[in-house]
Amino acid sequence: MKHLGRSILAMGMAALFSGSALAQDKPFAGVELKMLGIGDTSVTRVAPLVGEFEAETGIKVHIDQLPYPGLIDKIIVEASSDSPTYQLLWTDSPWVGLLGEAGALEDLTGRAKRDAAEIGLDDIIPIQLQENTWQGKLLAFPASGMTWMQQYRADLFENADEQKNFKAKYGYDLGPAKTWKEYRDIAEFFTRKKGEMAGGKPLENDLYGASQSYSRVQGAITHDYFPFMRSFGGDYWDPQTGLCAMTGEPHIKAAEYMKELIPFNPPDYLGLMWDIQSGFMERGEAAQAAYWSVRSVRLTNPEEAIVAKTGKVGFAANPISDAGPQPTYTGTLGFAINSKSPDKEKDAAWEFIKWATSEKLMRRFADEGKGVSQFRKSILSDAKLQEKYPYYKVLLDSQVNARRRIFHPFYQAVEENFGVELSKYMAGETATAKEALETACNAVNSQLSIFPVEQRVRWIQDVPAEVLGD
Amino acid sequence: MADIAHQERRAAGSSPVRSVKAGNGRSTHIASRNRSIALIFLLPAVVILFATTIYPMLYALWLSFRNYDLSKPFIPRIFVGVTNYAEVLSSWPFLHALVTTFKLMAMTLSVQLVLGVGIALLVTQKLPGMAVVRTLLLIPMMISPVIVGLVWLFLYFPELGYLNYFLSVVGIGPIGWITTTDWALTAIAIADIWQWTPFFMMGTAAALQSLSPEPYEAAKIDGNSRWDVFRYVTLPQLKPVIVSLLFLRAIDAFKIYDIIFVLTKGGPADATEVLSLYIYRQSFTFWRMGVGAAASFVSLIIITVLITYFFRSMQRSQAALAR
Repeated sequence: MKHLGRSILAMGMAALFSGSALAQDKPFAGVELKMLGIGDTSVTRVAPLVGEFEAETGIKVHIDQLPYPGLIDKIIVEASSDSPTYQLLWTDSPWVGLLGEAGALEDLTGRAKRDAAEIGLDDIIPIQLQENTWQGKLLAFPASGMTWMQQYRADLFENADEQKNFKAKYGYDLGPAKTWKEYRDIAEFFTRKKGEMAGGKPLENDLYGASQSYSRVQGAITHDYFPFMRSFGGDYWDPQTGLCAMTGEPHIKAAEYMKELIPFNPPDYLGLMWDIQSGFMERGEAAQAAYWSVRSVRLTNPEEAIVAKTGKVGFAANPISDAGPQPTYTGTLGFAINSKSPDKEKDAAWEFIKWATSEKLMRRFADEGKGVSQFRKSILSDAKLQEKYPYYKVLLDSQVNARRRIFHPFYQAVEENFGVELSKYMAGETATAKEALETACNAVNSQLSIFPVEQRVRWIQDVPAEVLGD
Repeated sequence: MADIAHQERRAAGSSPVRSVKAGNGRSTHIASRNRSIALIFLLPAVVILFATTIYPMLYALWLSFRNYDLSKPFIPRIFVGVTNYAEVLSSWPFLHALVTTFKLMAMTLSVQLVLGVGIALLVTQKLPGMAVVRTLLLIPMMISPVIVGLVWLFLYFPELGYLNYFLSVVGIGPIGWITTTDWALTAIAIADIWQWTPFFMMGTAAALQSLSPEPYEAAKIDGNSRWDVFRYVTLPQLKPVIVSLLFLRAIDAFKIYDIIFVLTKGGPADATEVLSLYIYRQSFTFWRMGVGAAASFVSLIIITVLITYFFRSMQRSQAALAR
């Protein structure tokens, strides 16, 4: 009996200690988190692996994936609730100012600094962190980084006959456009009808010289207009008044240039939201596109894009205008924590963010051929991966001198008003670009002008990220 | 006999007045009890109606006088008087949306009316299988507008849509149904006509079946043509029903939202931006709940005034007809 008693005591002690060890290993075991996310690569790659995260940490994560249009609406409703359902929120970097000024997102600066070594803070391209700040505070963590770049049908561009014909017509060599004028020439050259020859083969479908977003839905046209505007030397705001200033010569030139590209785009250009627009490249039905790098990975994956089987896609930096080289706009899709969540859930959510954006997981995605648009220098500069994903080098190089996208608390007013007015101009309903831009700017300024100048000027300041200091 | 009864009552020390009062007391008690029971039964409905309709409406009215931006809690949510109403009424996008709404109403209601009455005349003929045809024709009306929008999205889809495929077989197109400003409103109208023509068909068919046969027999004896019979006998009798159907559909068409949201979201450009989309954009894109609420009340007033005007006109014309 004595032995039996000792054995039971020993087993009990062992169970107790192992339990406490377990509690130390997995301090958040049993915590359940919900994430409001997008149904696109930055989330779809991670979502099937949340079981692995649960096995490691004991934290159960459920991800609801929604389409981009309307996602911000749900996040705003969630942010305005005192008892939130979602602890984790997916964010697009232009939303950070709006959500930041509203106090909806947890400041991650302290956590990121504390865990700098673990998360490889030095490995993250600085502008990707800057993109997710509001007034210097880090409010979201990069999960997918992007810049606006050129995608082009390398198989067509490298074809000897196409090169010869192009040179005969335009007087210079065919290659990825270095200027917007070249981009237009190439678009014109490759706009062909079904049955005509392209790259030595008859076309099964119409081939469009370019594929750009002109849809007003979720401001797609606005977000594509901005990089054009930037490369023509324009900017968003008047630094003195903090009011919309997108009515100058570079702004007008950029809008007129976009309109000039319409004849070489699919005929339903006004309906080209990003997914439809990139579909033309993925199906090999567009010769080139100036587009965000966020879906570039699909163009190299035969399971996701026909063009990866039937052709070859090349990538290059943005063409330049007569304003000379300009820093391009960048962007980040990030993971954030709802500021109204309980502290324990916030800490658990931070564990998830660290895991889901870790170098280990990002490298695994890249190795498996389903990488997201990367934001880590170590991955983007890996020679083997650069060979596998030609856009990695462009992405890395173009971010050295990139500038962050719009981050204003009234970005929605900009997105929507410019979306409507620019698409009206493209459709021919508004006579001139100047008129369209002035109408949009006036609508934005009518909302901004009620605020004091100091407040407006503060909203347009890109305060350096504290997390990048020291 | 009455005298005897009167005397008996007097003998018993009771007056007829007192007796009636006593009877009234009982009936008052029963009526009051019935009223209480009725109120208890009505209470759940009243509570639900108040919670889901009256309170939100009063809240929206309160909102319409305030500067309330859901996405920007840092903006004071103060009372601003009629500023939101003034902004709505002086805004070009609101006026554009109002005009687009009326254009769409004119397109859909006219076609639905003609088609609905025509089909009703057809399906009320005594032919085999008409009952089945009538039932089948009602199906579009029973489908949720969001589903109708999705069905038509598949048909209209620019690159992969069935409609352009079939048109290409006969050498037409492709047409940018929902992606060109020339076609988008028509495309919305076609989807709405498909869904709501059965409403006119059903109402008119029911009215046709209840018409008295005598005028038709008289017209037949007089040797009138079928067109004359329709024009001078059927149509006047159908008029009150048709006008009622038009009212109901007009109110519904004025609020059209779901199909447009699914198909075009108000685009391309602002080609299909109707009032409900304008209100949605103010409320849930700009999050200016006060302006959105004010726009809702302005549109409520517009439709109420219009319907009242048409209703009075109809009453006047019917009174004139009766005289």
